[in-house]
Amino acid sequence: MKKTRGDRIFDTIVIVLLLILCVLCLYPFLNQVAISFNEGMDSAKGGITIFPRKFTTENYKELLFNKGYGYGRAFMITVSRAFLNMVISNIVMFAAAYALTRKRLKGRKAFTTFFVIPMYLQAGVIPIYILYRYLGLIDNFWVYVLPFSFAFYSMVIIRSFIQEIPPSLEESALIDGANEITVLFKIILPLSLPVLATVSLWILVGQWNDWTSTLYYITDKKLYPLQYLMMQIIKEGDQQRQVAVLEAQGADASTKTTTEAVKAAMIVSTSLPIIMVYPFLQKYFVKGVTLGAVKE
Amino acid sequence: MKKQIDTVQKKQSLGAYIRKDMYMYILLLPALLFVLVFNYLPLAGIAIAFKDYDVLKGFAGSPWVGLENFKSIFTIPGFRTAIINTFIYSSVTIFGQFIFPILLAILINEVRSKWFKKTVQTISYLPHFLSWISVIGFAYSIFALAGPYNSIMAKIYAMFGKGYEAKNIFMESKNFLSILFFSGLWKTIGWSSVIYLAAICGVDQSLYEAADIDGCGRIKKIWHITLPAIRTTAIIILIMNIGQLVTVNFEQVYGFQNPYIEDATNTIGTIAFRKGIKGGQYSLATALGAFQGLVSLILVFTANWISKKIADIGIW
Repeated sequence: MKKTRGDRIFDTIVIVLLLILCVLCLYPFLNQVAISFNEGMDSAKGGITIFPRKFTTENYKELLFNKGYGYGRAFMITVSRAFLNMVISNIVMFAAAYALTRKRLKGRKAFTTFFVIPMYLQAGVIPIYILYRYLGLIDNFWVYVLPFSFAFYSMVIIRSFIQEIPPSLEESALIDGANEITVLFKIILPLSLPVLATVSLWILVGQWNDWTSTLYYITDKKLYPLQYLMMQIIKEGDQQRQVAVLEAQGADASTKTTTEAVKAAMIVSTSLPIIMVYPFLQKYFVKGVTLGAVKE
Repeated sequence: MKKQIDTVQKKQSLGAYIRKDMYMYILLLPALLFVLVFNYLPLAGIAIAFKDYDVLKGFAGSPWVGLENFKSIFTIPGFRTAIINTFIYSSVTIFGQFIFPILLAILINEVRSKWFKKTVQTISYLPHFLSWISVIGFAYSIFALAGPYNSIMAKIYAMFGKGYEAKNIFMESKNFLSILFFSGLWKTIGWSSVIYLAAICGVDQSLYEAADIDGCGRIKKIWHITLPAIRTTAIIILIMNIGQLVTVNFEQVYGFQNPYIEDATNTIGTIAFRKGIKGGQYSLATALGAFQGLVSLILVFTANWISKKIADIGIW
């Protein structure tokens, strides 16, 4: 069909609107990148857009090496909780998903219902807090890992994936005398690796971004993850930390960084891993969203 | 093939059969335990909403007080403000986060170039993957006294020959609604459009061709073909959102609050957090949470019921 003039105007409006959206989405991040690589004192004058005016890596050095911030420890906490959660979750959810695909398993329906109900009934923050106190999870690293071990939605995704593996593969192995456990490890597990990778990525992003667990259940500074550290640096300008930071700077007070510039370095360094991987992950996430209604 | 296996299984002794299934139950066990402990046990904890919970006396030792805690919810200073804030913040954000993703999906669908479409989508998904804290960091920087917002405003004022005094928008509680609205929109618009784009993908292309032959313009095609295609999805999303009318995103509200505006911008969620975890009034905060949960359950059921009556679409 031939494009009419109306069509052309319409197309132009659409493209302009979408371009504005793209700029709005990208600008804040690029602006922070520029500020994080710019001399702090200079940034304070304003007018930094997406290019640094006086380039420096001082802000990053300050953030990473000034013990007052505790960046290294927080990084280790974030990485270890994400890793442990990934390992435990995968084992727990894969095992459950496999068992639930066995058609002759008695009570399959009941188990599924048992797993579904918590999606609709949630106890709220305080009962959970009190339970964790009884379990000794308050101010305990494992509060970052154990409560996240089972996610119904991810389990369902794994289950539907296993269900789509051709039954003939399994049947022939069974006829050859393998038992179901052998089938699980030799056939189902290797074939399920793609879906386990997908679920692992969800877990990693979730763990990386979580800070409310710390807000609710942790007071011990040694257990702060990156996101919580960032929350404090951005929001509270934490007095104690500033003292610690100044002490660590010691006599070497000629530093050109400012709190604002270090904040920018914090935001950029914490968001960067996510920003670098998400374009590759998005298709898996999209798959999860568009799978739509949970298949029973 | 299926029959063969069945007969093989029947021939096995009962013991072997149970043992074989035992493995399956063992595989299920960890998941069952985790859900029991972390999802079901807290539900029993709601009971403390009806008790005068005392840390020293413990769960069993604390006396029952009936609905006392629910009554004293209404005497919390600032409770009225919190209820009103919750409703205003959530209804405005729900409305915005419902309408705009649909508009975006329609716009993206109108783009013909494949790579442009893909690029726009990828870029607009970015904010979804960032934590609220990073988003708050961006906002603080953009709206800082020497930041882009204030310098642009100064230029605009100067154009009209007026003076402009740079201000910190986060210090005034009257700005809070707009802050929540726009930051929420920024973070969710791209990602929320995914589900509508998926629905649009399912549209039979011959419908558009037929409309072309009938001489329909672009707007008409959107109105008569694209919009009806996403109707069901949109209604389901709306029903699910209505359950959120009594809960505003805690991370977002808590994140944007500061001591200057805290009292004026509290919501049910932030009050429950401050009274409960920070203040140690566990029974009161649990009652608050239970009240909130109950209202949202009722809201979802009502929305679902109305939508079934009117449009014959529901999530149950």
